Amino acid sequence: MVNVPIKLYSATESKTVHFHEVHAKDGARIEHRRICPKEDKEVPYKEIVKGYEVKSDQYVVLEKDEIKAAAGDRGKVIHLGEFVSADEIDPVFYEKTYYVGSRDDEDAFRLLHEALRKTGRAGIGRFSFHDREYLVALRAGDDVLVLHTLRFHDEVVTGDELEIDGGARKPSKREIEMAGRLVESLTDDFKPEAYQDEYRDAVLDLIKRKAKGEEVDLVAQEEPEHGDDLAAALEASLAGGRR
Amino acid sequence: MVRVLWTGSLSFGLVNVPVQLVSAARDLDYHFHQLHEKDKVPIEQRRFCSKEDTEVTWEEVAHSYDLDGKQVLITDEELDSVQPRKTRTIEIESFVGLAQIDPIYFDHPYFLIPAGDSEGTHRAYRLLVETMGAQDRVAVGRFVMRTKEYLVAVRAREGALALTTMLFGDEVRPTKHVPTGGKKPTKKQLDNAVAIVEELSTEWGPSDYEDCYRERLKRVIDAKRKRRTIHAPKPEKEPEPMPDLMAALEETLENLRGGEPARA
Repeated sequence: MVNVPIKLYSATESKTVHFHEVHAKDGARIEHRRICPKEDKEVPYKEIVKGYEVKSDQYVVLEKDEIKAAAGDRGKVIHLGEFVSADEIDPVFYEKTYYVGSRDDEDAFRLLHEALRKTGRAGIGRFSFHDREYLVALRAGDDVLVLHTLRFHDEVVTGDELEIDGGARKPSKREIEMAGRLVESLTDDFKPEAYQDEYRDAVLDLIKRKAKGEEVDLVAQEEPEHGDDLAAALEASLAGGRR
Repeated sequence: MVRVLWTGSLSFGLVNVPVQLVSAARDLDYHFHQLHEKDKVPIEQRRFCSKEDTEVTWEEVAHSYDLDGKQVLITDEELDSVQPRKTRTIEIESFVGLAQIDPIYFDHPYFLIPAGDSEGTHRAYRLLVETMGAQDRVAVGRFVMRTKEYLVAVRAREGALALTTMLFGDEVRPTKHVPTGGKKPTKKQLDNAVAIVEELSTEWGPSDYEDCYRERLKRVIDAKRKRRTIHAPKPEKEPEPMPDLMAALEETLENLRGGEPARA
């Protein structure tokens, strides 16, 4: 058995602007308190248990130990059971991403990284984290290993379930040809840094203006028009080139 | 039936395809309620003003942002006013190859389905599915849902248009701080490691994997309903460090080739 000591790092962080709830009247912070509606009293955290609702208003109470039991006995080990071609996994299965770094035995880490990079494969395994078990894919990133927690097959909606009515007339050859050219003309390299979260920027700007005591304009929004003539719209798009 | 989360149109040059957004992932987890241990009554979360110590209704709640220690109050109307105008449109900005996007950027998966019964809408939708599928291209664009602007990738998947929300560039952390290091493996070590990976290689088959956690949680709940006692298992021990990497590689490979069950 080959084992590689590793350490997990979070790979992503949300930059969404978060607000605190305050009482509009006095600006004081809002506290969320846990109330027992029967006694109409606040309940300290240690008097709270987890219940699963089996019927309306009927709960099965689970102790912390019992929930731990469900997390499994895998301990702090990621068992890679098999390897698959990394690009065979549809991205719809990827849930959360972590970076995996080396610990103690750096040579073994480097070897695993090289082997995954050379083969283009991802190791599939299971591991327990924060009291639950995950299915994971481990693949080679530029220098680190990248671990994705995976959705299970029954958690993913398939195209068949959508029941999209295929009754429409097939697109004409000319439409397919024009759409292809339009896609070509708009094709570019993916540069993640080229996209700014403009809404985040606008919210932060609003906050700064408000902080300075500026008046804020409240403007309405517009709806786009729907083009009915597909071929004409494609043609006009091609003629106009890039926006 | 799938629940519609958003209705608008996908805008591609001057072509507008009316679409509806539905989730492509379903939540099958067991969710728990917080109960008061004493009387098994579900706990309610209520809002209190920390100053007055009185309960506050949702209508009395305002939102505040901590700007370098200064508290700035923002109303819902003000937040609405900074929403981008194109709020009912998914505006495609460019097309890229799917392989160019590191899956680390993918956040939540959705499907776009044609909105309404118009023949033109269905044909335009189908045209996009076929064009993008044939060229293995992903459309990158933006749209606003509720109060957030999303960067999205739209591609053909299983005969439909799949939309995935994406993280912005600065939401993916740099890897600088993650330790890697190690000696470059010898050719023999790498050959052996590659051989192990190939021996254990198989086709990706998502339905080969069941959510054992969900299954066990179900069993725990069922057992508890019947009032059985459940014991938490002891965690598995971490394996001992390998004294000799090469020996471990060779032994694993030998076991694999000898048909013995092995875990790499």
